[in-house]
Amino acid sequence: MSNSTLLDLRGVSKTFGTTTALSPMDLEIERGSFVSIVGPSGCGKSTLFNVLSGLLRPDGGTITLEGKDVIGATGHVGYMLQKDLLVPWRTVLGNITLGARLKGKVTPENREQATGFAEKYGLGEFLNHYPSALSGGMRQRVALMRTLATNHQLLLLDEPFGALDAQTRFEMQQWLLQVWRDTERTVLFITHDVDEAVFLSDRVLVMSPRPGRVVDDLRVDLPRPRTLDTLVSPAFTELKARVLHQLHRERAV
Amino acid sequence: MTKKKLLVNIFGPILSVVVLISIWQSIVTWGHVASYIAPKPFDAVRSVTSNWSTLAPLTWWTIKETVYGYLAGALLGAFLGVILSKIPLMQRVLYPLLILTQAIPIIALAPPLVMILGFGVMPKVVIVAWIVFFPVTVSVLDGLNHVDKDLLTLAKVFGANPLRRFVVLEMPAAVTQLFSGLKIGATYAVTGAIIGELAASSGSSLALYQRSASGSLDAAGVYGTTLIMTAIGIVWFLLVVGVEFLATPWQRRSTARRWRRGAKPVLPNN
Repeated sequence: MSNSTLLDLRGVSKTFGTTTALSPMDLEIERGSFVSIVGPSGCGKSTLFNVLSGLLRPDGGTITLEGKDVIGATGHVGYMLQKDLLVPWRTVLGNITLGARLKGKVTPENREQATGFAEKYGLGEFLNHYPSALSGGMRQRVALMRTLATNHQLLLLDEPFGALDAQTRFEMQQWLLQVWRDTERTVLFITHDVDEAVFLSDRVLVMSPRPGRVVDDLRVDLPRPRTLDTLVSPAFTELKARVLHQLHRERAV
Repeated sequence: MTKKKLLVNIFGPILSVVVLISIWQSIVTWGHVASYIAPKPFDAVRSVTSNWSTLAPLTWWTIKETVYGYLAGALLGAFLGVILSKIPLMQRVLYPLLILTQAIPIIALAPPLVMILGFGVMPKVVIVAWIVFFPVTVSVLDGLNHVDKDLLTLAKVFGANPLRRFVVLEMPAAVTQLFSGLKIGATYAVTGAIIGELAASSGSSLALYQRSASGSLDAAGVYGTTLIMTAIGIVWFLLVVGVEFLATPWQRRSTARRWRRGAKPVLPNN
């Protein structure tokens, strides 16, 4: 485990009855990296997130985040789902500071930080709006800001853009990369979309079901910042082909 | 709300009441209905105003019974809703009892209440609360049971304890449902008070006043008393609607009012 390792899993496993959702897994995630996880349903990626976030207790193994054992604990990661889960009775500002409210009081510093995020990323004029007044893309932005505002280094994003149309989705991907670079967070990103995984990531983990495990771990060395041109470059296509082959070979077995 | 919508909202109801009264007036006038069977609307109103010194204290009692009973019922109902939703065992234990309370004919409740509580305000308050609490319990239970599970999961991941989850997420999420129960309760409340007065009054009350007016074929008095009772019910219902209006701004506004923002004024981005 090197100095730059943020998250370290050793032999983490989880079974439900007779189903091995996660066979003993070792995984190191480097601080500041962007790592995507792709795989068919039932490959254990959601179980992995639930174990990391503390919702599930693994059957065995150790999870170390920033040098601390976090098994069974909660409140140490940012977490975001496909559903934006904005609460309709709080304004944009109130939604961004929801994490702080859930742990106690919202301080002026929390509000200032939230206002800063909103202004920086084009939602400054909407701070006092209720979520019902926002578009789908804007709502996902607010949800990501809420995740950022928890001030955790590790962000778990579970198909955050899965419900958006293709164009909004591409905008959101570029925006996410900008936010990631600005805030120097570490992102674990679940997606079904191979293009999305390769486009965003430093590293793509391919998972496979029965038992749930990582079958490929590939580095994406495409230059950043990534743009539309990245999507049509030969290097991108090559990486994408490799991921697709992994996915389908595993499925064919 | 646009100006046009506001006008429609205010004058729509007024218009419908005016039409109703006109129909009443026409039927009684042109249908040659005897004055001891049905009065003209204005005779009913006149009966109220000319007997106001007698009716005012009675009205005041009915209002008190309605309001006290309603508040007690609403609080009890909300409390029970929370208990039922949070303690699964209680759903098994309490739910049959709750159904039982509603299966008892309200009228049959009065005699035992009089035996226990006498003829004062209390038995009426209990009857009103008895009627009001049930829709509130059901709506709160429903509201709390339908809070988005993913939202609660998110709160757990963020490290919120169960109490905070309840206060910050579940309670506000159930508010819309709560108000639908409160509104149903508000329409029943005055009915409960009048049933209580009919069945558990020894001295004077609006209900007994109406009964004696009916006994002396004073149709104007009978209808006038009904108007008072109806007015209490309507005003109370509107008050509850008003509280809902203030308590749930997100249902009709796109931005929060300044006093709700809870933050210093936000400067435009430049």
